Amino acid sequence: MELLRTTLLQLGDGFRFTLGIFAFTLLFSIPLGLLVCKGRMSKIKIVSLLCRLYISILRGTPLMLQLFLVYFGPYYLFKANTANVKIGPFDYRFIATIIAFSLNYAAYFAEIFRGGIQSMSQGQYEAATVLGFSRTQTYFKIILPQVTKRVLPSVSNEVITLVKDTSLAKVLSVAEMFTKASAAASSQVSVVPFIVAGAFYYFTNLLVEVIMNRIEKSMSYYS
Amino acid sequence: MSENNNDIVLEMTNIHKSFGKLEVLKGIDLKVTRGEVVAVIGPSGGGKSTLLRCATTLEKVDSGKIVIGGDVLCDTDESGRLSYCNKQLEKEIRSKFGLVFQNFNLFPHFSVRRNITEALIHVHKKSKEEADKICDGLLAKMDLEAKANEYPCNLSGGQQQRVSIARALATNPEIIFFDEPTSALDPELTKGVLTVIKELAKEKMTMVIVTHEMSFARDVADRIVFMDGGVIVEEGPAYELVTNPKQERTKTFLAGY
Ligand SMILES: Nc1ncnc2c1ncn2[C@@H]1O[C@H](COP(=O)(O)OP(=O)(O)OP(=O)(O)O)[C@@H](O)[C@H]1O
Ligand SMILES: [Mg+2]
Repeated sequence: MELLRTTLLQLGDGFRFTLGIFAFTLLFSIPLGLLVCKGRMSKIKIVSLLCRLYISILRGTPLMLQLFLVYFGPYYLFKANTANVKIGPFDYRFIATIIAFSLNYAAYFAEIFRGGIQSMSQGQYEAATVLGFSRTQTYFKIILPQVTKRVLPSVSNEVITLVKDTSLAKVLSVAEMFTKASAAASSQVSVVPFIVAGAFYYFTNLLVEVIMNRIEKSMSYYS
Repeated sequence: MSENNNDIVLEMTNIHKSFGKLEVLKGIDLKVTRGEVVAVIGPSGGGKSTLLRCATTLEKVDSGKIVIGGDVLCDTDESGRLSYCNKQLEKEIRSKFGLVFQNFNLFPHFSVRRNITEALIHVHKKSKEEADKICDGLLAKMDLEAKANEYPCNLSGGQQQRVSIARALATNPEIIFFDEPTSALDPELTKGVLTVIKELAKEKMTMVIVTHEMSFARDVADRIVFMDGGVIVEEGPAYELVTNPKQERTKTFLAGY
């Protein structure tokens, strides 16, 4: 029983980092995804091509590899010393994780947003145009709210995947929950820490599901 | 009263428009005076919608001149060079007309009230109270007082189209364009919409209506324009054109109704 308590405490400690990776990734990847999506749909060929390439590469290579690249890249490429890099309480290990996750998830979000925007009928833009709305007004008042509703189910999917993907940060030895669980498991020679970790992930995603369902419901006043 | 320039709300001169190799408008001239109701009829693919879309800035013409409410939207000089007005004037011109779409194009995430007031508040900078007052007046006119807080998806097609007419009227435009306002509606729902348009005609609203409702065009329009193959084949007083068309193509077309 005592063992379970310490396990819970250890994993709870790591869970803070798990939540940190999760929250920061969402915070950065959604706006970045929107930006990449805009770029991907840009009429300027070179911008569109670059964004396409970005999406293709980030979706086409493993997230784990991207984590390594962001973490070790600065040193191997420029001999940059990242050991002393710190932003607030966060060391480069954590920062690299956030960067890699955000870049990666932005690529997925960009494609989801593009699907949503392209599913909008031309008529919505035209109605807004003849009513005199500016392009910015049309985008933020007319298009984005409707796109949000349409992409919500796919976004939920990504968010749930993200909760589980945070465990990949273990490869950079970030002290997140899965790293702690692995350590506890080998020191205790037991699978219990893994089961506890699994429960943490599961209940986090249960909460995510409930919240996303709420949001979906709050937008179901129209179809 | 003599017909001075003030009385001409829409003037389209020698309008040409192609999509790639397909020439859709081959030199259209159309003048609409204040208070006039013009119906545009003609077979599918004749360029009726394209004409309205050019007049409402949704398409750019290849050459020709368009003047709306005294403002020049575009013009073509002797050497054939087309020029459009600046963005500021374009915005002003957009406030001078309304457009009613075949499939309504209401904003589904806005209530009926917000569909009507949003542009008033955020484009025309009216206060919420003013906008609401205008909205209430229009909804009463459209027989939709009870629907102000509904969402478009909960309305019948006919009701949705009346909301979209109210939305087009809200900014008090000088002219309203309709592109087949009843074509997406079940027959029993068209009546309410046509009644509303008839009311507007009585109030001397200037309107250009593309329609396949021949009896409606005959009864409501002052003038009918018959378009086919990108040209105006024939035009004239509504009753006369329907009952006594001069051109073979007009006769053939009308015989189908
Ligand atoms: N955006 C576009 N790109 C290419 N071709 C177009 C486009 N819009 C219209 N056309 C073509 O232009 C021609 C005229 O179309 P338009 O919609 O103006 O006809 P219409 O008279 O309104 O017909 P309908 O009665 O079926 O609505 C058609 O052949 C159509 O296919
Ligand atoms: Mg048409």
